[in-house]
Amino acid sequence: MKTAWAAVLLAPPLAMTLLFFVAPVLYLFWVSLHEPSQSELYGAALTLQNYATVLGDSFYLGIIRRTLGVAAVILALSLLIGYPVAYFVALQPPRRRMLVLLMLIFPLMVSNVVRAYGWVALLGRRGVVNTGLHSVGIIDAPLDLLYNTPAVVTGLMTILLPYMVISIANALAALDRRYEEAAQALGAGPVRTFLHVTLPLSTPGVASGTLLVLLLTLSAYVTITLLGGPRSKLLVSMIYDGVTAFQWPHAAALAFILLALALALTALILALLRPGRVQGSGR
Amino acid sequence: MNRALVAGRALRGTATGVAFTLIVAPILIVVVAAFSPNDYFEFPPPSLSARWFVEFFRLENMRSAFALSVELALLAATVSTVLGTLGALFLARRRGTVAVLLQSLFLAPLVFPTIILGVALLLMYKTIGMPVFPGLLLAHCVVGMPYGFRTVLGSAQALDPALEEAGHSLGAGPLRTLLLLTLPLIWPGVLSGWLFAFIVSFGELNTALFLTGPGLTTLPIEIFSYLQFQGSQLVIAAASTLQIALIVILVAAIERVVGIGRIIRTR
Repeated sequence: MKTAWAAVLLAPPLAMTLLFFVAPVLYLFWVSLHEPSQSELYGAALTLQNYATVLGDSFYLGIIRRTLGVAAVILALSLLIGYPVAYFVALQPPRRRMLVLLMLIFPLMVSNVVRAYGWVALLGRRGVVNTGLHSVGIIDAPLDLLYNTPAVVTGLMTILLPYMVISIANALAALDRRYEEAAQALGAGPVRTFLHVTLPLSTPGVASGTLLVLLLTLSAYVTITLLGGPRSKLLVSMIYDGVTAFQWPHAAALAFILLALALALTALILALLRPGRVQGSGR
Repeated sequence: MNRALVAGRALRGTATGVAFTLIVAPILIVVVAAFSPNDYFEFPPPSLSARWFVEFFRLENMRSAFALSVELALLAATVSTVLGTLGALFLARRRGTVAVLLQSLFLAPLVFPTIILGVALLLMYKTIGMPVFPGLLLAHCVVGMPYGFRTVLGSAQALDPALEEAGHSLGAGPLRTLLLLTLPLIWPGVLSGWLFAFIVSFGELNTALFLTGPGLTTLPIEIFSYLQFQGSQLVIAAASTLQIALIVILVAAIERVVGIGRIIRTR
């Protein structure tokens, strides 16, 4: 009776996850190991050629390098800006902190296409920044602020920044203030207290914020396309292009190269930050 | 000594000001642009007008994209919350390796690059001949399920197990205990999970990008293709503003029903 009831609870969500999440991803991997075909979705023969082609092509390697570069700059900027903001949030009294966090969560609920459009309206040739600078007389002709890599970095960084702030703020708010007080009682100044006590204790929040921003950066196709245009394509754009060209095995291989990149960077970040060191991180 | 403290406070204040400006300005600009009276967006706008909202509802493709998005979000939020609730109830009191693995599996779509899921589903749908609407709905369910699962898991784990035991010892079967006892107690978690899943489905891009078909497009994808192929027309600003307005209403609903604190804790 009890096991039958447990099966009733588990079967539907498990079936959904296995059939429409695990199975298609495994199938995609299977397809990535096959020859391309003119008439079918993929050919009959097994091959690693799809991976070899991408990893041996300087064009794709350049795209991967650009993807890594963009991700690194976005992570660095969102940490540099996000950490002090998170500190500010964590220092607020509980009710006010709730309000500030709500103001950070609300933008995350707005679709990324809307937020990217906001950046287009700001940075476009007839955008607010260009018309503003023109009317003040600083520029004569509109600047090309859109459709380049800095536009992608700016837009994507600000779209994902709330994740970083919320993750770090949660870690800082849960931090036991007595550690900092103890450090100061023992004669450490504010800078030393921060570097040797507060910062290490907040690493679980830094790690989860960093991972969220990284993973969302890697698959943000729409934002990258709207702000980067055709000249600032990243790895995710190549997957989309492969699909629209019906090059299934090629697109599948690119998808798994992106996934491998995501996993490798996740492992690297966890190894660097070692969030597990901090006890009672609450997650 | 004191200088470091003052510098720290100044840094926090400046960073917060810059961050909020960068986060909020693009959203505010879209709302302002939606009320433009002219064909082109001017800032500050010379006057306010609702013509782009009228235009939005006049355009057949915009109207049907909006309707499809609402329909999908309602269905996907309901299905994924039911599934997430079942999974959460199963796992709430279980420990051990299998339970940990199952929990990670149910939460995995939150961190898995959804663009890969989109390609994978498209390929599988092509192979098995899945029609557009159910395929899109199932994708939205997979993406939304972790939200319902996570919020309900929190509520269910906070529940006193003695209550359910009392139900059983008074002779109620598992279904009766669930419907009459557990469900009313975890209701706030279920509801906020549903609202989250709705919001996520309503803004979904990465899977919908591949799974929408001709004549069957969601609002975010319609906005995207307009921006890509027809330039930035202000009807897009109106469409975006409607999106934002719906989220404001839902957030207010969450605040009314379960309190805003719950959203922040579940994040």
